[in-house]
Amino acid sequence: MANAYSADIPVSGSGTVKTEKKAVNKPFRWGLMLLFVTIFQLFSFFPVAFADGELHQMSALVFGIYIAAEWIYLALAHLIGQRNDFPLEILAFFLSGIGLTICGSIYETYALKQLIAIGLGLVSFTALTWLLRSIDRAMLLRVPLAVASLALLALNLVLAKTTNGALNWITIGSFSFQPSELVKVAFIFVGAATLEKLQETRSLTKYLIFSVACVGALFLMRDFGAALIFFFTFLLIAFMRSGDFRTLLLVSAAALLGALLVVYFKPYVANRFATYRHVWDYINDKGFQQTRVLIYSASGGLLGLGVGNGKLRNVFAASTDLVFGLVCEEMGLLLGLLILFVFAFVAFYAVRGARRSSSAFYSIAAVSAAGMLLFQLSLNVFGVTDLLPMTGVTLPFISRGGTSVICAWCLFAFIKSVSFNIGDTKPYRGRKPGVRV
Amino acid sequence: MNKTTKRGYALLPVIAAFLVGACILVYLYAAKGALWSSSRANAHLFTSGSLSTAGTIYDTTGKTLAKTKNGRRVFSDSRALRRATLHIVGDGAGVISTGAHSAYKSKLSGYNFISGIYDIQKYGRGNDLTLAISGDACVAAYNALGNYNGAVGVFNYKTGALVCCMSAPNYDVNNPPSNPNDYDGLYLNRLFSGVYTPGSTMKIVTALCALENIPDIASRTFHCDGKIRIGTGDVICMGVHGDISFEKALNQSCNCAFAQIAQMLGRDKLMTTARALGFNTPIRTDGIQLAISSFDVRQADDLNLGWAGVGQYETLVNPCHMMMILGAIANGGQGVQPAVIRSMQSPAGVTVYKSMTRNSSIVIPAAQASEMRRLLRSNVERQYGDSRFPNLKMCGKTGTAELDGKTSHSWFVGFSQREDLPLAVVVVAENAGSGSGVAMNTANAVMQSLLQNKIQ
Repeated sequence: MANAYSADIPVSGSGTVKTEKKAVNKPFRWGLMLLFVTIFQLFSFFPVAFADGELHQMSALVFGIYIAAEWIYLALAHLIGQRNDFPLEILAFFLSGIGLTICGSIYETYALKQLIAIGLGLVSFTALTWLLRSIDRAMLLRVPLAVASLALLALNLVLAKTTNGALNWITIGSFSFQPSELVKVAFIFVGAATLEKLQETRSLTKYLIFSVACVGALFLMRDFGAALIFFFTFLLIAFMRSGDFRTLLLVSAAALLGALLVVYFKPYVANRFATYRHVWDYINDKGFQQTRVLIYSASGGLLGLGVGNGKLRNVFAASTDLVFGLVCEEMGLLLGLLILFVFAFVAFYAVRGARRSSSAFYSIAAVSAAGMLLFQLSLNVFGVTDLLPMTGVTLPFISRGGTSVICAWCLFAFIKSVSFNIGDTKPYRGRKPGVRV
Repeated sequence: MNKTTKRGYALLPVIAAFLVGACILVYLYAAKGALWSSSRANAHLFTSGSLSTAGTIYDTTGKTLAKTKNGRRVFSDSRALRRATLHIVGDGAGVISTGAHSAYKSKLSGYNFISGIYDIQKYGRGNDLTLAISGDACVAAYNALGNYNGAVGVFNYKTGALVCCMSAPNYDVNNPPSNPNDYDGLYLNRLFSGVYTPGSTMKIVTALCALENIPDIASRTFHCDGKIRIGTGDVICMGVHGDISFEKALNQSCNCAFAQIAQMLGRDKLMTTARALGFNTPIRTDGIQLAISSFDVRQADDLNLGWAGVGQYETLVNPCHMMMILGAIANGGQGVQPAVIRSMQSPAGVTVYKSMTRNSSIVIPAAQASEMRRLLRSNVERQYGDSRFPNLKMCGKTGTAELDGKTSHSWFVGFSQREDLPLAVVVVAENAGSGSGVAMNTANAVMQSLLQNKIQ
């Protein structure tokens, strides 16, 4: 690991020299930024830890550990000389902290669980960034990851346990997780890790088969939201790899036809979208969740009613699918918008970074991960506010739920990869052809 | 490789679309936040279906009409006042949709885009509303109308303040009827949501059209034998007026004369005037949607055109709309919108809203408005008698809307020309017979109450 971080060979022509110069005087700036985030978190944690006038020890402990972890992470990253041209982790800490606040305001045990999930997310993030620094290392994992993903989805289909109408959970003892979240990470990993002969039909065909298998499995689980996210990401990756608009239009047309056939033969699928743009006509049944989100998020105004003072929290799935409404009601529309802009900003960073990244692998990984996050965020936020049909996907980093948080952190690792200096890795042109699959 | 990295730009339109979505969302919160947050499903505002967090509602003199006490809405102590103001104040459960409790629930909740409903969190209640109505005038209307159903409205034709609004049938909000289906339209505020055959009050519209389109109308004479043959049938008159001038025809409400005037004007001109006066178009006033007045003679034969000219045929008029037309005549031709709310105070005691005069879309050329004022004044002076309206310097027109097989609706519309009483009034008393009876008496009783209490 030390080796990977210490490599420091400037390479001309890729813009990394410029990046490096900037990085020298940045630690202080990021420290200041984390300070602002910490101050915001103290303000949001405090009323939760001292709700109803008494100290809630476990919540206080969870929040204390969380803030300490943020600073320790930043200090360590600085100590080992990590170049940092973008405060991606700080943004992730900011977003995760909002989710943690909301978990803590519901049950103390939720906060503890969420803290563990964020911790696992941070570890996964670090491990994945280490892994991605060597493209050879990454290449070795492609096939196993693809196989494991399909196996996991297959297992899920076999064990399928219905949760809220979707069959997308696996429960082992008291621990349950959403395989589709983990497969998201593998999906991008597998899709991006094809460097040689990008236009080679065979490799793209393999990826197409893998994608169809994933999307198909999700469709069978009736997890339409996840299926849509995977499909969107597939289009993005396929375009990045081939640059072929015509093929993609063909694929999209085929998918549309498929969707129409599904709607024709299984009308209940269309029923799920019947309330779209008519939620107020179904205020107490099918439009219940969306109307409550609109009612209570509007009630919160720009600054919110204060954490714990909202009413949306009494509605089912308030801290998971509907969390955007809860954030707006209790912490304000301004924070809700800030969250949206953070994701847009991160996506913008990924596009910019992709342009001058040291490897096409990183470019594809970063852009598709950012696109996946942005698309999922859109489905969630615009879904609960009835601008789009509601599909029941989570808000990355903020919705309560372990696998969702871990997945979000992992996706940020892909975005982070655009900042890797080519010196950190072996140059792509010189690699042995043997690792290609 | 360069190609691949450039392809990342494909995400830019997605980011742009996302940001557009975010902007739409903000716009929707700004435009619809008040509507959304004041939904009955909002547990911040409603407890067991009642708007328990609403502030106090006062009349223009500071009388309490409704307030929250121990989490429940309580209304005035006077039973007559409760009944007289039922439809304008509304009920806590919101079954009366044009009542303040429904129409202004977001105002009463203290919602605003910046702080949402934070005031309720802080003070436990929303804004206080001071309505423009005088409770005494509403009670006067309630008493004068007696057992008749109908509507009474009075507004200031200069500022718009709606100083009286009463609708019957009504009920005591403390003792709601167990079976409201026994009553026809019990929950409707007939001033805002009712439509009636206008009867002779429609002659004001016909006369305005004549003043605009027939320059020498004032010097013309018409003949009345008690009925006039048009096409396939007769238009019947209440009297036999012989040769009669335009002014006298209006004074005595001669159907023969006005049926002839309608023939002279023709369908298009009548339609144009009606449209300019707000017929066939939705009218909103102070956030309340009025029932649409309808006037359509495009398909009418000559006989029906004659009947339309005297306010029969298929024409239907909303009382508040008719009052607004009279207001425009009184105000030199420029109509103003009736305003239900006078002011609004936040729980912190700050006045957060003050009613301002807003012009309505009803505009009458000044010269015709002036001539119309003279004619309507002449009605009272020569026909009804100033003794019917002591000290009021009243102008007006009665209407007797004939119905098939039932006693006619009794209408009176008018306004006072006193400088200190710039008020226009409308009264509809259902099945009460001639307009010069119940309707005119009610109009006088309400105006006297307002004069006495110096309310405008």
